[in-house]
Amino acid sequence: MKKNPYQNYPLFLLMSAITVCCLLIGGCSSNSEQATGPVTLNVWFHTGRPAEQRVMEDQVARFNVSHKEISIALTMIPEGDYNTQVQAAASDGKLPDLLDLDGPFLANYAWRGHLAPLDGNLVDSLKDDLLPSIIKQGTYNGKVYALGTFDSGLGLYGNRQLLEAVNARIPQQPEEAWSKAEFQAILRKLAARDPDGMVLDLRLDYDGEWYTYAFSPVIESAGGDLINRASYQSAKGVLNGRQAIDAMQEIQSWFAKGYVTPNTDANSFVDGRVALSWCGHWEFPRYQNALGEKLVLIPLPDLGEGSKTGMGSWCWAITKKSKHKKEAMAFLQFLLQKDEVLAMSKANGAVPATYSAIAESDLYGAGGMLNLFVRQLQKSAVPRPITPGYPVITSAFQEAFLDIKNGAEVKATLDKAVRIIDEDISDNEGYRFIDQ
Amino acid sequence: MDTIRGAKRNESRAAWIMVTPALLGLALTIALPFLIALVLSVTRYKLDTPLPVLFVGLEQFTRIFSDQSFLRALLNNLVFALVIVPVQTAAALALAMLLNRPLRVMPFFRTIFFLPVIFPMALVAIVWELIYAPGPNGLLNAFLSLVSFGNWQPVDFLNDPVWAMPAIMLLSLWQGVGFQMIIMLAGLQGIPRSLYEAAIIDGAGLWQQFFHITLPQMRNTIIFVALVTTILAFRLFDQVWILTQGGPNRATTTVIFETVRVVFKRQDVARGAAMSVVFFLVVLSITLIQHLYMKQHREVE
Repeated sequence: MKKNPYQNYPLFLLMSAITVCCLLIGGCSSNSEQATGPVTLNVWFHTGRPAEQRVMEDQVARFNVSHKEISIALTMIPEGDYNTQVQAAASDGKLPDLLDLDGPFLANYAWRGHLAPLDGNLVDSLKDDLLPSIIKQGTYNGKVYALGTFDSGLGLYGNRQLLEAVNARIPQQPEEAWSKAEFQAILRKLAARDPDGMVLDLRLDYDGEWYTYAFSPVIESAGGDLINRASYQSAKGVLNGRQAIDAMQEIQSWFAKGYVTPNTDANSFVDGRVALSWCGHWEFPRYQNALGEKLVLIPLPDLGEGSKTGMGSWCWAITKKSKHKKEAMAFLQFLLQKDEVLAMSKANGAVPATYSAIAESDLYGAGGMLNLFVRQLQKSAVPRPITPGYPVITSAFQEAFLDIKNGAEVKATLDKAVRIIDEDISDNEGYRFIDQ
Repeated sequence: MDTIRGAKRNESRAAWIMVTPALLGLALTIALPFLIALVLSVTRYKLDTPLPVLFVGLEQFTRIFSDQSFLRALLNNLVFALVIVPVQTAAALALAMLLNRPLRVMPFFRTIFFLPVIFPMALVAIVWELIYAPGPNGLLNAFLSLVSFGNWQPVDFLNDPVWAMPAIMLLSLWQGVGFQMIIMLAGLQGIPRSLYEAAIIDGAGLWQQFFHITLPQMRNTIIFVALVTTILAFRLFDQVWILTQGGPNRATTTVIFETVRVVFKRQDVARGAAMSVVFFLVVLSITLIQHLYMKQHREVE
């Protein structure tokens, strides 16, 4: 009688067990640590413009050569979902030694206990050289957790030729900014001369954090805010107060009147189809290439409480779990040297983080084309709320902005955003500090 | 007698042992995450929170059912499924019938129609974003203007509260119909030619052949395709994430989109868990109802 092969259970079980073991071993990542040799420093960097990437790679290469005892392993992560990826890695415990973070999210990472304070390593000479906005951005709960090598500038790029054709005044200082009525008049006159009536580029081809960065200053210019900054416990009366509603209704009117281009090909300004582009420092190289002498930089319009603008950008932080904090700090200090700051600023057009670098910068030094950004950082720039609740605040504002852009009723939309923000803050027990 | 019963027992034991790895996989990848979601949905757990996790009863469920976004998402999912399932199934059947001829060029056409299925939805979304571009120069606007002799007013499809959902439906249909078409084709080729020949001899016209031979013979295939399409329809996410972000004003939001947004943008894992629990129950009920109503005839051969 033929024996049923499956009757040999012990053999069958053994074979299955071996198969499973092989799969598990194959799936496990190998942890080969070198006992001797240079310390490997894991560094994450968000990929912005290609020029930024090249400078970063070059800086890493030069640092590796000059510091033979440290070997930097650089990982570039696409900017689009960088924040989401970092959050996911953070909750997994897989963060690198040193990484750059988008400034406003810093408080959230620090609150969750992922970052190590830099204070012990911060020498006074460096602290004095840094722009105050850089230190403010990197501070949470009294400790400095991150430092950026550049800050950002936000303004209205203008096409001088088109603006002069409608006799528009071109302001140079935040104090001279266009008033609400003046801005409306300029838009109206520009639209009258424009074939499709679209004269304002709000970079709708960007999404996500751009909306909060670029348009919350409009609310602040009108006297409102994203959240009550006295205690960061509620947004009621501030994000849905009269001033904020007025500000968002003003923005909504620009859409309703057809002034705003969807900018699907991202070229409406460089092609000369629109006269104004609401944008940041990073587009300066491309815009100047296209418009040359015709490019002007104008402060954002003043809706009542003065022209306000955005600030804050990427900054470097050291993770709490890192075993190479000293090496990470060494690299950060290298990046903050004057020549390195200038190199990065030349590549991405951003405001250099140190006064010594600004002084030597053609663009940002006194009389430079982008000196307005430095003056704004000193006078009229408002940081996005520095609170662990920022991710929800920005998410709620982005949703509200999209709804308002599509014509939703402003008060109801802002009420909903306030509800989301307040609910999150109360769920998180007011983001009270947790000693870890 | 003993040897037969013994053999049967050995067979079923062997069967259980062989099925165990797969069952273990299912338990770990489907049952376990669902149980975790169930547990999370009665808390206020946020992603990577340093705060202690508290039990809050059905609070998350009360919240989502009073949230306009979630309710609209459920409605959108239902409407999408109600439209896509009959339309895509009918389109798949029509295409399959067109391609069910023994011409030499048929494999070429079959490949062309099936191609969209293997494209990742993200790619399809980007391409259709260009097709739906607003203004008179957008591909679809220009085409409609051409065929209507200039009577078509350009529409911003993806930003129009009325057109956004139909736009999403069209591109989803374009991407998915090839898959159903191949299944229908297999079903059609299983129908014996002799039935059609007999019908033609009896003087049946094309419509009568369709209603009295093709449809009854295809019953099982059509039911299968409808069931699969329903379940796939509830997974609507990629194109919404890339093209409309649930807009304008929640006209195209779906449950999965709301869940992903709530978990990854607001870090509210507990709320996302509650949404996925509710969604699971909804989809389960719908498929059970479908199963009961459309029992497949199993032939005893």
